[in-house]
Parts: sequence; structure tokens; C-alpha cells
Amino acid sequence: MSRFDIPANIVEQTRLAHSIFLLTVNAPAIMDSANPGQFCMLEVQDDNSRDPLLRRPLSIYKTGSNGKISFLYKEVGKGTRLLSKRRPGEIIRVLGPLGQGFRLIHDCPSILVGGGLGVASLLLLAQRIKQPHRLIVLIGAKNASEIPTIEDFSRLTRYLHIITEDGSLGQRGVITELLNQTLQKITDMAQIYTCGPWSMMKAVYHMARKRNIPCQVSLEAAMACGTGLCLGCAVPKSNSQGFLHVCQEGPVFDADQVHWG
Amino acid sequence: MINQKKTIPVCPDLSINIGTLRLKNPVLLASGTCGYGMELDGLLDLDKLGGIIIKGLSIRPRSGNPPPRLAETPCGLLNSIGLENIGIEVFIRDKLPCLRNIQTSLIVNILGNSVEEYFEMAKRLDREEGIEAIEVNISCPNVKAGGIAFGTDPEAAASVTHAVKKATGLPVIIKLTPNVTDITEVARKVASAGADAISLINTLLGMAIDIKFRRPALANVFGGLSGPAIKPIALRMVWQVVRAVDIPVIGIGGIITPDDALEFLMAGARAVQIGTATLIRPSTAEDLPAGIRDYMRANNIKNVENLRLPA
Repeated sequence: MSRFDIPANIVEQTRLAHSIFLLTVNAPAIMDSANPGQFCMLEVQDDNSRDPLLRRPLSIYKTGSNGKISFLYKEVGKGTRLLSKRRPGEIIRVLGPLGQGFRLIHDCPSILVGGGLGVASLLLLAQRIKQPHRLIVLIGAKNASEIPTIEDFSRLTRYLHIITEDGSLGQRGVITELLNQTLQKITDMAQIYTCGPWSMMKAVYHMARKRNIPCQVSLEAAMACGTGLCLGCAVPKSNSQGFLHVCQEGPVFDADQVHWG
Repeated sequence: MINQKKTIPVCPDLSINIGTLRLKNPVLLASGTCGYGMELDGLLDLDKLGGIIIKGLSIRPRSGNPPPRLAETPCGLLNSIGLENIGIEVFIRDKLPCLRNIQTSLIVNILGNSVEEYFEMAKRLDREEGIEAIEVNISCPNVKAGGIAFGTDPEAAASVTHAVKKATGLPVIIKLTPNVTDITEVARKVASAGADAISLINTLLGMAIDIKFRRPALANVFGGLSGPAIKPIALRMVWQVVRAVDIPVIGIGGIITPDDALEFLMAGARAVQIGTATLIRPSTAEDLPAGIRDYMRANNIKNVENLRLPA
């Protein structure tokens, strides 16, 4: 487990949609050991500011050549707003790669199910799937502007299906409809990997369970440390025996482990 | 001829004593913010610190409070972890063997639901090699039984201190809660009950409300506030307790920089603990001994205790 807490140079900060940004930093050490589904903790401001106090956890979206890693994130509050103001050339402290990422299961169709910004933890996974002809990517969102990085996925597979609630991109409807259509066509064993809003992942998990398809979920939680020190990012276990910790045992879990409520 | 004064450069000595415990420097990691030590592997050089205080252990494992357990506030962090821990036996079996290899003092924090539990745990730890002191948590604001119930009642605090002292020959540090009217009253009681040192402050009871969902931000409603927001309060209480008791005081509360640590040492703390800052940047504590040394050298101060301000 190699983790690094390094001052990284910002090389790109692009607003892709109204509140969605792509941040790229130069962090070769982190890039080298990053696995799909892992995340980093980013100091949103420079050293002497104490407000906001905490770093922000962001999924590693992309790893580029020559040591670059990218984060796809949404401005949701003070921390991410300040983060979005950071400019190329500035230094940002990045701790990572953290957590347990996706376990890659080969030799069966891989179905990636992303809801909205949940796609942020799925791209690296899609790139690492060894059999692109058996890679199916399903992406759902409220509207097209929530998912501005579709081309990153369309490059990787012919089986990319998109659905939006307002029909502004792809089919009109919700992602469970897409998954249902896909699962009806699948006859052999498959593996589902999903990241998105809790209610969506819960629905995906229930559909997977009905068909006995293993499902890995990438969870999100408020975090202070990202390294298992504070135990703040607790999620109830399915057997009601205590809690899972998103930062250390996750963020990716077998969906069976989680108490979905 | 002008008589020139010879300046002999001081070589500051950072080592300190807490009871019979000698620490190589006055910087410790605070319980609850450094896990069981190994979580920091590769992110912080423990050997550079005076000591590490392990997350509070109970006699049996505890699963802690339901989420949400965290809420960020201006310059602060509210938590209601609820003392989740693996229990004293699993700690001794799985964690302690690795911790024996670190070149820093290992202090174990304990918490109980009764005086008997505190006694049993202290006795259990006393048998184990590698543990250099025990910190007794009578101050957690996040659990209903135990914890703070002992810390807010001076008599109960004294009973716990008595019991733990009877159970072990290791130095005993009592960790106090700030959630009382007069912290010096509890401090005096635990000092006269035989405590070797006092550490303070634990978190301040607070809350936040999520106005979007119209509910308290923490599932437990209240939580403990930590971080730079509480530093002035912590400093004031350390100043008061230092002047109320004759045993060493360890200062805790919002310390991030060497300057912060120096303030506590000037208030009279013998040592300091770094808590929330480690969560934000794991290596924070590592830089503090050097920063303190630089200040002492520049100001011709030879011992940590000489930093203390008069009155």
C-alpha cells in the first residue's frame, strides 16, 4: 500500500458544464500506484487557511501519460467552490491513492453502471477491463449537462448506452430501465460495477441480486481523514453488526456487505 | 577596549518527564486521531515524535454511533464516532506486536462503563510489554454511559483515578473534558487521587443543523468540536489547570503549527497532543519538534519547562 501526500502542480482546471469541473494535477507517484475506484484527499486551499478545515475526497477519474491524474467533480459546497477557483500553475496538496478500489473480474461481461457524477470512479475501471468487446457501460443522468464526459467512455466500448430523465441525451428514462434491458440479453455470468446516488445503487443491487450477478458498489461518505484514522465515514453493514468504513475498507464494497436500508 | 560578551549557543533539550515516563520531545499524537498507529504507515515518521496515544479501548469491542458521524464547521470539526474500537484483547493480540517496534513512547487510552472496567483494563495493560503509560478517557461527549459521566463529576473522576492507579504501576494520565463549569475542580480532585498527569481538553460539546434536510447534521444530534476553532478555549483551560495542580499538564486543542504548540508550552503545558491536524495532514506533528527547537535556540531557552510564562 503506497500512499503519498504531495504538493502537486495544477496543470488544468476546466469547467465542463455549469457546476462540473475537470482538475488535472501532476502527481507521478500517485499516478503510478493508482487503481480503479481509488480516491485522493485534496487540500482545497493553500496552507494557512483553516476554513474549510478538511480536505475533500475525490475519485481518481483519469490517469494520463507523464504523471498526470485527473479528478472529475461537481461544485456542491464551499470546499468544492474554492477548489474550482484554483488555477493552473498553483500547487495543491494531494494525498493518495487511498482506499480499496474495484476488484477486476475478467473472463465475463463487465457491466458498468454510472449515475451522474458517479462516472468519475468508473473511467479508470473501463480502461483496465481487458476484454473491451465484453465491456458494457450504462450511464444515466437527469440531463445531458450532468454527464459532459461521455466521449471518454465511447472511445472504449461499442456498448455504451445513455439514458437521461429529460431525454436530452440518449434514451428518455432512468438507468434501471437500461440495466433491465441489458440484463435480459445477458445469458452467462457477468459482473456489475456501479457508482452513483445511493438510491440508484440500491436499485442496481436489487436487480443484480435477483439474477445472482455479483455487484461491486463505490460508496461516498463525508470524510475527515481518508486514511482510517477517525472512523467518521461509517456505513452500516448488511448483517447489522457494526459499520464499514468507506475510506479504508472501501470506497468499493461488494453490495452484499452494505445495509441498504 | 570594548568587552565583548561571549555568546554560547544553547543546545535546546526537548526531552520531558511525565511521572516516570521520559519522552524525547513534547509532541504526541492524540488518541482518536491516529488510529492504532499503523494507519499512518508511510505518511508520518512516528519515530520523530515524543509519543503516540492509541485510540480509546474498551473492555469489549464497540461499534460506535450511527452515521452521519462528522460535520464540518468553521475552522472546526464535529464528530460523534461513539468510541468505536476493536476492544482491548484484539488490540493486544493484533496491534501491539507491531507497535513494539516503533521508536516512540506508546501510550494507550482506555475508557470504561464503570470504575471496575477501568481497573480491569489498567491491570490488563500493566502486564503487557511495550506500553509506557495509560491515558484514561473520562471525557468522551459522545456516549451515554461512561466517558463523560466520570469526567463531569469530580468525585467519580477521583474514583476512576484511584482505581487505575491501584491497578498499574505505569504513569497514569487523566484526560479531562472541558464540558464543565470549573475544570480546575476536577483537575484538583484527580491530582489528589494520584494521577501522574492531566491531559486536556477533549472535545467541546456542540451541534450543527442541516437546514436543507431540516435535521441535526449528526445522527447523534450532539458531537464533540475539535480543531483550530477551540484553541483559545483549550489554551485558557490549560493555563488554569497548570496553575491549579502540581502535576504535569498535557495541552490539547486545535494545535497545527509550532507556534500553536509553543503557546501551550508557554501556558505551562509540559507536552502537547496533535489531534484533528493529523486528520487533515498526516505529517503535521512531525514538523513540530524541530519548530519548537528552533524557537528555543533563537530565544536562548534550554528546557521545554523554561518556556512557561510566570503567574
